[in-house]
Parts: sequence; structure tokens; C-alpha cells
Amino acid sequence: MVGLSVGEKHFIQGGIAQDLRSDGRKRLTYRPISVETGIIPQANGSARVKLGATDVIASVKAELGKPSPFQPDRGKVAIYVDCSPTAAPIFEGRGGEELSAELSAALQRSLLGGKSGTGAGIDLSSLSIVEGKICWDLYIDGLVVSSDGNLLDALGAAIKAALSNTGIPKVNVAASASSDEQPEVDISDEEYLQFDTSGVPVIVTLTKVGRHYIVDATSEEESQMSSALSVSINRLGRICGLTKRGGAGLDPSVILDMTSVAKHVSEQLLNNLESEISAAEACEEES
Amino acid sequence: MFCSTILTPHALIHLHLLPSLQAPAPRKILRTGAVNSASGSAYAEFGNTKVIVSVFGPRESKKAMMYSDVGRLNCNVSYTTFATPVRGQGSDSKEFSSILHKALEGAIILDSFPKTTVDVFALVLESGGSDLPVVISCASLALADAGIMMYDLVASVSVLKIGLGLPFGLGYAFQSLEARQFWIPEVSSVVHGVSGEEESYQDGSLMITCMHLLVMRITQLTITGEWSTPKIHEAMELCLDACSKLGKIMRLCLKETASASQE
Repeated sequence: MVGLSVGEKHFIQGGIAQDLRSDGRKRLTYRPISVETGIIPQANGSARVKLGATDVIASVKAELGKPSPFQPDRGKVAIYVDCSPTAAPIFEGRGGEELSAELSAALQRSLLGGKSGTGAGIDLSSLSIVEGKICWDLYIDGLVVSSDGNLLDALGAAIKAALSNTGIPKVNVAASASSDEQPEVDISDEEYLQFDTSGVPVIVTLTKVGRHYIVDATSEEESQMSSALSVSINRLGRICGLTKRGGAGLDPSVILDMTSVAKHVSEQLLNNLESEISAAEACEEES
Repeated sequence: MFCSTILTPHALIHLHLLPSLQAPAPRKILRTGAVNSASGSAYAEFGNTKVIVSVFGPRESKKAMMYSDVGRLNCNVSYTTFATPVRGQGSDSKEFSSILHKALEGAIILDSFPKTTVDVFALVLESGGSDLPVVISCASLALADAGIMMYDLVASVSVLKIGLGLPFGLGYAFQSLEARQFWIPEVSSVVHGVSGEEESYQDGSLMITCMHLLVMRITQLTITGEWSTPKIHEAMELCLDACSKLGKIMRLCLKETASASQE
């Protein structure tokens, strides 16, 4: 909870109405984004994304597992978010649980596509090793280290960065005699396959304050919101998932307007993020 | 029962593509007053999806809660163990609870019961697809039955998208009330056994909950899968139209209960 005086609230709302926010940004400008990759050696891929004072870490771990009987030719992906009490005292104990569940659900909706797996940012069929027998299970974990608003966008960006940093070991399958047996596999520790992340969408959250909406709200600005729309958009400009937060109702035309604005903003964000990711990866290789 | 069936050309084309999903016209039942001990309750049956919602309160908030000058809303969605073909495999009820809360809080006049809590408990008796929209609509009916002040009833509808490459018109199955014949259950359990076939048809879904009477207000919207903007536009229009029809039926249901109790 952000404790704000009446004057501060008016200042924030008035600034947004005049397209000049308290930190000098315009309504549709993001805070500077910084990306670090490969920060967790134990994980297959990891990244840390800072968006102003918001700081999140995403890690990707791959384990061998069994595909579900309904989708034998696909791997499985699980996304969980943890809100650490270090970020805010309210996350202590069970306080962060609700937010964690909400963020996890929103990320799953944005990245995993429909039930059939089409439209997913992560290509699940590339995780299959032996159809119906063995596949990779990807565990994507997000951690909120410091929270200053716009967690979802930051987590989305961190996951994208972590996935592009992910190397999945090459697996050699020994030719097994019978089809019933679990085939033997040999995991290579030298050869890694890179993950194709060009299809992974970015998430743009538009927060409605008064009659206007802003991107990348700080927690002060978020405390003044009536509702927020998180839209995930991929390279092709297609919408891959949408979540609404906040109880206040919105007019349908406003929602359509917001999605088209989100689409516009996403292009810049995507370019910005991708150049940051490649810079971070180049930096990692040097060291 | 209440409304005539409207056949849209989209749905008809679609039916030819998926003959196995041509379910017989499912029953739709909406009734208030299903539980006597609750302040208000409602039962909804849409096809195979059966849901019961009870509302308790406004009653004293738990002691640990801080003072609040607006009322609190507490929502909980749970599945019976026999709701799904595989025992105890209901959808994520935690997520459903949070969506239900978000869908309703914008419609309830929370200022009208300060310091107190209204509990909304939803139980999915049988999961036959499109569970969450049914739960939301049923819950708003139960709230009205409990006499909780609301700006409007909340109606909820979802559509599924089928086939990414197909033109829009071919690609839709309806989960809305007026076109129940064309529904494809979100959980494919209803169509004999769980075959991967039906499951794989769903490429995306869109769920809308909205209030309709005075001005159109969308209280909750979720989209999964990959969509282009015109498709979203069209799907939203479809849903909003269905929501307004469902809203009318819900009002009618309340009126019937009221007139029955007067007699």
C-alpha cells in the first residue's frame, strides 16, 4: 500500500492529465530498461530485468519428463512467480500469495497460447524428444526482488530474456528394442540447443488513471488506477493474451482503443528489449 | 426455454466442419433461491455445466480485518470431486476465485455495507465447459437474490477460436446462451471421453463479463491464444450481444421469483 496525501494524489492525476508525469515521462514512455543475462549458473537460462526501481529475476530450468497423454508430441511449460518479502513487507507470509497467483496466471495466459498450444510464444513441440515418452519440462520461475509497479511487464521481459539465454542440452536417444520400454537417453553436456524466442511476446500494461491511460506505472501511479489492461503482443503485432485488472468497468470502445495503443507501444518496447538482450548476451560472452 | 434460438451463418458453417461436436440442444436453467440458509442463492445449468452459488451477508468481517469504510467482497470457487471425468481434476479454482472477485467488485455498491463482508461461494457441481462464465452470471444472480445493492447484473459469456488460418467466420464456436447448439466445451470432457481432437481444436478463447442496463461496461476480459485486432473486435461484439441477451434472461428470472413470492 502506498500512503499518499490528497495533494500528492492530485499531483499525480494532474500530471497524467497534462501528459507530464511526476518523473518527467510522457504517458506512453517506459522507464529505462536494463537487462542482465546468465546470472544464475545453476539454471539453464536466467535474466534480471530492471525497470526503474522494479527489479525482477527469471530463471528457466529444463528437466526431462513425460509428456501428457493428451499432447504426446509436446513438452510442458510451467510458470510460477514468487513475490519475495524483501520487495515489500506486505509480501511476508501469505501476503504475496494472491499477487503471485495473479501474476502467474497472467503470464501463463500471455505466453502459453490456447489450450491446443497454437499461438504460444514458446514452441512446445520443440521440447519433444521421443513422442509420448520423453520431453523437456521447462520450469520458468519469476522472482520479484524489488517492486515499484508494472511487475507484469518486467516479468514478461525477464522471461523473454531468460529464454533467449536458455541452452537446452542435446539429447541422444539410444535405439531401444521394444516400443513399450522407456528409451534410454544420453544428455550431452557439451552441445546445447538455443531456444527460438522471436515469437515470445512482450507484455504491455496500460493503467487507466482518470480519463487517460499510461504505460509502465510506478507503484504510486498504480495506487491511483481505476483499472488496467495487460496486453501481450508478439512481433507480428498479434495479440497473444489479455488480462484486465481492477474492478472498474470499461467501455468496449475504450478497450479496443487501449489494445491498439498497446500494439503501437509494443513495437518500440520489443525493439528496445531485443537490443538490450543482445547487448547483455554480448557482455556476458566477453566476461 | 426463455429465448428463441438464433442461428448465425458462422456457426452453421462451423457445424459442418465439426459434426462430432453437434450436441443436442442443451438445457439452460437459471433459478434463484436454491439454498435456504443463505441470504441469497442461485442455480444455473447450461448444458452439462451445473453451478450453485450462495451468498452470505453482509455480515461481520473477521476479527483480524482492519476497519474499512467500504464493504468487502470475498469470493470462492470450488469444484466437487466428481465434477470432472477424472476425480478431483477441476480447473484452477484459485484463479477462478480471483477472476470472479474482479468481475463482481465493479458491479457491487460496496459503500452500501461498510465494515462488513459479503461472501460469495460458488460450487461447480458438474464441469461441462465454459464453467467460469456460468459461475459469474450465476453469482451475480445470487447477489441480486440476497438483496445486495448493485449497479447492474453482471452477465458473462466466452467464445472459443478455432483454426488460426481459417477466416474468422469459419473459426468460431459459440458458448453464448442463444447459440448453445454450437458450443464446444472448454473442457472437452463432455464429448465422450477426452480425445485430443477436440482439445486441439481450441486455439484461443475470449471471455467477457459486462454490465448492460444503463451503459455498457466491461468489468472483466481475458483473452488467450493468438488473435488479430479485427478478430478481437468481432469476437467482442459477438460476446457483448450475447451478454445483453443473457442479461435479459437473468432479469426475467429475478422478476419471476419476485412475482411468485408476492402471490
